[in-house]
Amino acid sequence: MDMNGSERIEAPVQTVWQALNDPEILRQCIPGCETLEKTSDTEMTATVALKVGPVKARFQGTVQLLNLDPPHSYTISGEGKGGMVGFAKGGADVALAEDGPDATLLTYVVKAEVGGKIAQLGSRLIDSTAKKLAAQFFADFTQKVARVREEIAS
Amino acid sequence: MNDMTITRAEREAKLEGMGCKRKRVEDIRFTQGKGNYVDDVKLPGMLHGDFVRSPHPHARIKSIDKEKALKVPGVLAVLTAEDLKGVNLAWMPTLAGDVQMVLADGKVLFQNQEVAFVVATDRYAADDGINAVEVEYEALPVLVDPFHAMDPDAPVLREDLAGKTEGAHGPRRHHNHIFEWTVGDRDLTDAAFRKAEVTIKEMISYHRTHPSPLETCQCLCSFDKVKGELTIYGTFQAPHVIRTVVALIAKIPEHKIHVIAPDIGGGFGNKVGAYPGYICAAVASIVTGRPVKWVEDRIENLCATSFARDYHMTTEIAATKEGKVTGLRVHVLADHGAFDACADPSKWPAGFFNIVTGSYDFPTAHLAVDGVYTNKAPGGVAYRCSFRVTEAAYCIERAMDILAQKLGMDPAELRLKNFIRQEQFPYHSALGWEYDSGDYHTAMKKMMEVVDYAGLRREQAEKRAAFQRGETREIMGLGISFFTEIVGAGPSKNCDILGIAMFDSCEIRLHPTGAGIARMGTKSQGQGHETTWAQIIATEIGIPADDIMVEEGNTDTAPYGLGTYGSRSTPVAGAAIAMAARKVKAKAQMIAAYRLEVHEDDLEWDIDGFRVKGLPEKFLGMKDICWIAYNAPPPGMEPGLEAVSYYDPPNMTYPFGAYLCVMDIDVDTGVYKVRRFYALDDCGTRINPMIIEGQVHGGLTEAFAIAMGQEIRYDENGNVVTGSFMDFFLPTAVETPHWETDFTVTPSPHHPIGAKGVGESPNVGGVPAFSNAVNDAFSFLGSTHIQMPHDFWRNWQAAKTLGAV
Repeated sequence: MDMNGSERIEAPVQTVWQALNDPEILRQCIPGCETLEKTSDTEMTATVALKVGPVKARFQGTVQLLNLDPPHSYTISGEGKGGMVGFAKGGADVALAEDGPDATLLTYVVKAEVGGKIAQLGSRLIDSTAKKLAAQFFADFTQKVARVREEIAS
Repeated sequence: MNDMTITRAEREAKLEGMGCKRKRVEDIRFTQGKGNYVDDVKLPGMLHGDFVRSPHPHARIKSIDKEKALKVPGVLAVLTAEDLKGVNLAWMPTLAGDVQMVLADGKVLFQNQEVAFVVATDRYAADDGINAVEVEYEALPVLVDPFHAMDPDAPVLREDLAGKTEGAHGPRRHHNHIFEWTVGDRDLTDAAFRKAEVTIKEMISYHRTHPSPLETCQCLCSFDKVKGELTIYGTFQAPHVIRTVVALIAKIPEHKIHVIAPDIGGGFGNKVGAYPGYICAAVASIVTGRPVKWVEDRIENLCATSFARDYHMTTEIAATKEGKVTGLRVHVLADHGAFDACADPSKWPAGFFNIVTGSYDFPTAHLAVDGVYTNKAPGGVAYRCSFRVTEAAYCIERAMDILAQKLGMDPAELRLKNFIRQEQFPYHSALGWEYDSGDYHTAMKKMMEVVDYAGLRREQAEKRAAFQRGETREIMGLGISFFTEIVGAGPSKNCDILGIAMFDSCEIRLHPTGAGIARMGTKSQGQGHETTWAQIIATEIGIPADDIMVEEGNTDTAPYGLGTYGSRSTPVAGAAIAMAARKVKAKAQMIAAYRLEVHEDDLEWDIDGFRVKGLPEKFLGMKDICWIAYNAPPPGMEPGLEAVSYYDPPNMTYPFGAYLCVMDIDVDTGVYKVRRFYALDDCGTRINPMIIEGQVHGGLTEAFAIAMGQEIRYDENGNVVTGSFMDFFLPTAVETPHWETDFTVTPSPHHPIGAKGVGESPNVGGVPAFSNAVNDAFSFLGSTHIQMPHDFWRNWQAAKTLGAV
């Protein structure tokens, strides 16, 4: 599955970058994320509960940050296992660009692969589910970043 | 004794014998919900088993942790390959001479492969248990495309076969090669191609699909430790074979194994093979000392037990300019999945695919089949066809259309020009079969007349012209199929399953009051045996069909038989019925002669009893003979009236048929409409025309499904993406077209009642008719062959590729 897109976020690049590296913000924004813990500067472990069509799964996995070029871009890559339901692995190349003084354009290119029951039953729903999850992530993320900004400002 | 007020016609009608549209007796219970299927069988203390299955198509198993699962309330045991090794059952033999993992041993080779078997007090607990088993996998490179299976750098799938250069069917050329099977004269065929004026070559694929019976595969095993006896209730198309195989691999004496196949909700080949679920349930019952039931769910059925087809057939025909065929050359790449578990007679790794010369008089032919391993589920069952016959019929019927197109000849005319002529029967085909009987020209001409073939072609020409003028967006196709089937496996000289000769059997026992029971080696899965078998007996011995009970499926009471698949029941067991009935009748004749005080030769058979020749009033009916047989037999004769027959057929039977499909396709949407479907079947003597019609309707519906959308599809990562009825096309009354049926009758010369078998003909003949209709519709736009299945999406793709959209 391939997906790409961009989001305009009302915050300077540096703020967005910090948020993208903040496990607590990521935890709150990743749909279904139950735990996200940093194990090193570039590694995290996560538990994410997801529902694709008729299949409900709880994935446990690791997340790695690669190709770090602060505050411009990184690759976030992960692998999760959902037991009987299957597995998922994939990554996203994320890039930030200034869009005026107080805004950032975030672009992403996602490549993901799912296997097991989730691929069998959910195949026709995966693309739409992924788009929905991405939209939800960025909606939450934009909101969180804005709040962080307000906190910094106040 | 003989009520003279009843006319002969009335006596005949009362029997409801052969040729009568007798209503199906089994439907009385089925339509009232009173059938008894495996899942209806409940034994005291019964446990339920369920499988942990692999999400990976190819992976090494690094560890299996049962601990958490064993703590789930209700879970009693978790079996893995390690446990099965203790009883030497981690692997089992397949029908095709290969071995198959019962539970994953070290690695998994296809998605949904059985990894562990959880046994619990109910199905819910078992499900919780499978979710708690922790398996660690290390993913390996996946092989999905059979055309790359024998690449030098293709991943090694079967590590257990390392270094084995000889398989069950000869040499293996590559680590993913299973066998090469060749038939025919290569030199003569190559020479025919060198001399040919016209040749065609096309890669014709018959995609992977699945029989998908409404009732999935299931069993209930109960081991009695005290008696040392194993009772297995199961969805078995061949119960005796299961008993023998269990005796051989589990080392339980065969008389202590009781196999019972109760009512079966459709088989279509899916229920011939032996599956890991059967072995695991049996072992679990031995381990726990309690009955263990295993019932497959729909996803498991579609993804793990026995796919069908997956043949990729590179087909070449040599011909003269006038359209006389001179040679046929076919190479098949057969995708067998991870294990070769094809359900064919053991000596036939590609089934009877060498029927591929079809209904045509090919002077020479050559066939080579290469079987390969891929990371897909094992199987290769005969889904409503005799072994690989539907692949063969599709191959030749599609190729004949392609040749007609190249020659600019009408496909019906090409067929008529090349048919085996009536006087050539018995006909020896270039690939080794002896066709018993046929009258192809009569059947074809009848079809063309009934449907007004010439008129349809005129209409098509007008529609094409209108399309090219831009007046319509609809194209019209005529799909002809003239198939020859080969059924009735089979003669012991060339057919066996693991050494068990493929005869079949019938035991008839008449009771004193003139009723009786017939026990059979076959097993109905919906074919209506309880109805038709009694009709054969009624005609043969004059006892009304209603007074004969037909019993199948209990290996303790039924005579040994090889079961029901490949349209073999009527050709083989149907003959056994007639032969057993004739033995009964011979004894009855002796009794009648004694009673009527004449010599046996002075008696003649008259519908339901014996009559003294020339003295019509001296008559003794079968009902009375039954009483006499038990209570006052002639001096020196043993009482009783029963007989058993084991029938080893001298040859196969060769049903045939002429089908036509008229289809309209909207090029902008790909939506097709089957405007008309005409099916003429010649299955020899017709036992019950209504049941034949029902069989033809069912077979055509399955053919329609396969040709127009039904598919087991894998993505490039080895995921099955058609694992439920959401994606796997199973037509309902909404999609299914109207069927017109017709017939001719060309009896089999070697069969006691001349019958040939019909259950699978419509699937064999139907698929090419649909596919030829689609291809015929598109042909004027420049295409020669479009692969199945022809769903709306693919039709639209074809239209786009051909520039029509």
